[in-house]
Amino acid sequence: MKILGIDLGTTNSAMAIVEGGEPKVLENHEGNRTTPSVAAISKANEKLVGILAKRQTVVNPKNTIFSVKRLIGRKFSDSEVARDKQWLSFDLKESSTGGVEIKMADRWYKPEEISAMILAKLKADAEAKLGEKIEEAVITVPAYFDDSQRQATKNAGEIAGLKVRRIINEPTAAALAYGLNRKKEEKIVVYDFGGGTFDVSVLEIGDDVVEVKATGGDTHLGGDDFDKRIIEYLVAEYKKSEGVDVSKDPLALQRLKEAAEKAKHELSTAFETEINLPYITSDASGPKHFLLKMSRSKLEELVADYIDKSIEIVKKILQDAKLKTSDINEVILVGGQTRMPKMQEAVKKLFDKEPHRGINPDEVVAVGAAVQAGIFQGDVKDILLLDVTPISLGIETLGGVFTPLIEKNTTIPASKSQVFSTAAENQTTVEIHILQGERPMAGDNKTLGRFILDGVPPAPRGIPQIEVVFDIDANGILNVSAKDKTSNKTQSIRIEASTQLSKEEIEKLKNEALVHAEEDKKKKELAEVKNLAEQAVYLAEKSLRDAGDKISAEIKEAINQKIEALKSVKDGNDIEAIKSKTSELSLEIQKIGQSMHGNGGGEKQEKTE
Amino acid sequence: MTAQDKKEESIESSDELAKCQKEKDEHLDGWKRAKADLINYKKDEAKRFETMIKFSQEAMIRDLIAVLDSFDLAVLALEKEGKAEKGIYLIKSQLEDNLKKYGLEKVLVSVNQPFDPNLQEAIAAVESDKPSSTVIEEVERGYLLHGKLIRPARVKVSK
Repeated sequence: MKILGIDLGTTNSAMAIVEGGEPKVLENHEGNRTTPSVAAISKANEKLVGILAKRQTVVNPKNTIFSVKRLIGRKFSDSEVARDKQWLSFDLKESSTGGVEIKMADRWYKPEEISAMILAKLKADAEAKLGEKIEEAVITVPAYFDDSQRQATKNAGEIAGLKVRRIINEPTAAALAYGLNRKKEEKIVVYDFGGGTFDVSVLEIGDDVVEVKATGGDTHLGGDDFDKRIIEYLVAEYKKSEGVDVSKDPLALQRLKEAAEKAKHELSTAFETEINLPYITSDASGPKHFLLKMSRSKLEELVADYIDKSIEIVKKILQDAKLKTSDINEVILVGGQTRMPKMQEAVKKLFDKEPHRGINPDEVVAVGAAVQAGIFQGDVKDILLLDVTPISLGIETLGGVFTPLIEKNTTIPASKSQVFSTAAENQTTVEIHILQGERPMAGDNKTLGRFILDGVPPAPRGIPQIEVVFDIDANGILNVSAKDKTSNKTQSIRIEASTQLSKEEIEKLKNEALVHAEEDKKKKELAEVKNLAEQAVYLAEKSLRDAGDKISAEIKEAINQKIEALKSVKDGNDIEAIKSKTSELSLEIQKIGQSMHGNGGGEKQEKTE
Repeated sequence: MTAQDKKEESIESSDELAKCQKEKDEHLDGWKRAKADLINYKKDEAKRFETMIKFSQEAMIRDLIAVLDSFDLAVLALEKEGKAEKGIYLIKSQLEDNLKKYGLEKVLVSVNQPFDPNLQEAIAAVESDKPSSTVIEEVERGYLLHGKLIRPARVKVSK
């Protein structure tokens, strides 16, 4: 039985489950990874939840309920409620118990009943997606939620038909998603810049317990404010240049809103974006267009005070908790707005630390809720732990090149095979030199063992087929075998200590590979170029022998010259010289074919090619 | 060896055997699960790949929808001035036809029908003698990609 992890957000909600030990975000019925936290009763008396409810907000503002998280579990007399009542478009009243009630269509609802509508949709969509019943859930709440708010959220789950296994804090969920709960004695700051709210929490991890040390934020600061600033700027700029106020036209405003959001997203990766909205409006002189280039620095300037404000809040919370920024071991970024480079920079500068941001910041809380659900589910205590090979394993091939067969980070047990051939004429023995490492040249890696396969029947180079099999078992024991496919002769070796490297050794090997990346690349290229040169010389000499007297002495002489020229450089280190001499020789060899086909034969050759 | 010893030994070995049996079952089960997991993963992956191909163009098509919107507005503006040339209609339908090949369909909106939030988004509520929540005007087209709504039709609705 799967347990659903739910991030019940103020503006958007998300859900995830653990499947096969991995958390996975579930798409809703409409195919989106987040669901607007909006519920409504339409004019046709239909219950609508999510994007459908949102789409009819304009025509039905009185019966479209959003931001219910701001009200859940609160007393009607709370100053927060009084403040929100000012701008919320639906009606609120005090319930008989002092709580809040919300008018939707012809009935008064408790906030938990509205939240339950959202949870019920998530439950139903998850069930449809997974094809099985979901009866239990882990739901996240802000760290500052009090008992009453937590209880109300839990009740919402129960109303939706979900047994709430646990209510967990959003920052704790984020830490779980990054696996930080396994760390010892650490202090973590979670910087959560959502669509409509900004939360900061300081967590302390010790003995597998995550404790919230301090929390704070601004319940009316979020990414939506950024969008608003951009729109205001665009409207003002347009008014300045064209003298038209586009904010009066609903379609124009809608297009502008979308363009503003798009520009904001684009400016997270690009330094400049163009907002191009042809036919945005029209006046007496005809249609008017909107065209404006917006730079990243302009966006940063527009919202600088918001970012500064958030940083000030973080500083104050640390101060209240009597912590210095240097006391913090990890920083996690949550919320879509944290994709903005300027914001990441500000946080990084404050803590002098690279924040965690590998997991999609819109989904990290839901992922963490799923991780907690997975622990209840028992999925995470998977008894069968599989190791990975930390370093690549392979053999030495022509020119001293290291050819990996089992790449690093391969889950073991694993088996890989590859067919190789001989490098010389009539070669009857093949040496298999087994190595481990990340450097492209064999000589720079660590030898694990070597053996010789003999009794290969004499044949031209490149003809014999030697199959090399690397088999590594669950204990890291490596068996390497080589088999000549013609004679079926086999030779093998067993290497015990292929994965017994210490952490330091592994790091050292990986670092070396990084440090030497440039020169290694050159070395490998040189080896490859030399191999090609060898091949060309071999082919040229073979062609001369095969052609015998069928070609003129002049052609032979020319080819021999080119061969000598290549031989004179091929053992040196001048990549360009070897390359050019190789291609000159290759061109020269083609003359053999042309000459043997005689005049006019060239045409025929072209056709058959 | 006394009878007592023998009995104890046989109890011990049968315990041992039961333990082995249990372990064997566990391991076989684990092995079967691992194999099944892989097969299922492959199946899931194949499915995922299919949907990925279908929707990999979604991001690009979304951007092209903005071009279609501009086209619609341009045609509208040109018609008003009586300057709409046949060529511009042809270019527009060329773009639409090409996108259709990739699975893009228009959302059909009927004016004077009840508003449908499944396919439409209300961007304005206007005074009208029509019953409340009736579509008065379509201001921006909606689009489906392989049956999935990627942009609702923007409509004006009666108050």
